[in-house]
Amino acid sequence: MNALFGGLTHFGALLFFALVVSITFAFLSKRTATERLHYTLWAFLAFLLVAIGIGWLMYPFSQ
Amino acid sequence: MRTTHVDETMKREAFKTNQTMALVAAVAGWIVPGLGHVVLRRWSKAAVYFLCVGGLACAGLAMRGGTFGAGAEDLFDRLGFFADLGAGIFYFLAHQIQSAGPDVAHATGDYGTRLFAAAGMLNLLTVLESYDIGRGGEGK
Repeated sequence: MNALFGGLTHFGALLFFALVVSITFAFLSKRTATERLHYTLWAFLAFLLVAIGIGWLMYPFSQ
Repeated sequence: MRTTHVDETMKREAFKTNQTMALVAAVAGWIVPGLGHVVLRRWSKAAVYFLCVGGLACAGLAMRGGTFGAGAEDLFDRLGFFADLGAGIFYFLAHQIQSAGPDVAHATGDYGTRLFAAAGMLNLLTVLESYDIGRGGEGK
């Protein structure tokens, strides 16, 4: 387990979090396999875009 | 008139059974993520919830994330404790799963703390769903 997750980069942790939460939300809110797949992909991409967007917005303040 | 009385009694009994089943499923789902859905025979959901919540919790611990204790003094730590507690057995076994303990001095450890809290919150959502299904709700 440590070998698998211990060396996770920050971006890797973000991808893992987004994927796991998207799958769980899809199973909580959708009924069919197709709906769940679409919702998972949509939520995963939304997590990713929002995180990268917020990262870009915060970038000037880190200088 | 008599039929109506029998119907009412049967409805009340069914409600009690549903309520008991819902509580059993909710408690089981809190202790072991997905177990509530096993009780309700929702096999695929049970497997997915166990893997997702367990994976997130284990990833948080592997990243040397910390867990909040019951004796927290400020509000943020107390909220963190309730979030962590939601992970059920993963919270109680945190020290066995990650024997090296937390290391929140580094950013990775801090992220691990958030991942573990997120696992607890996700599990609380699945617990609410299992309670709802147990009460006779359809669930998705």
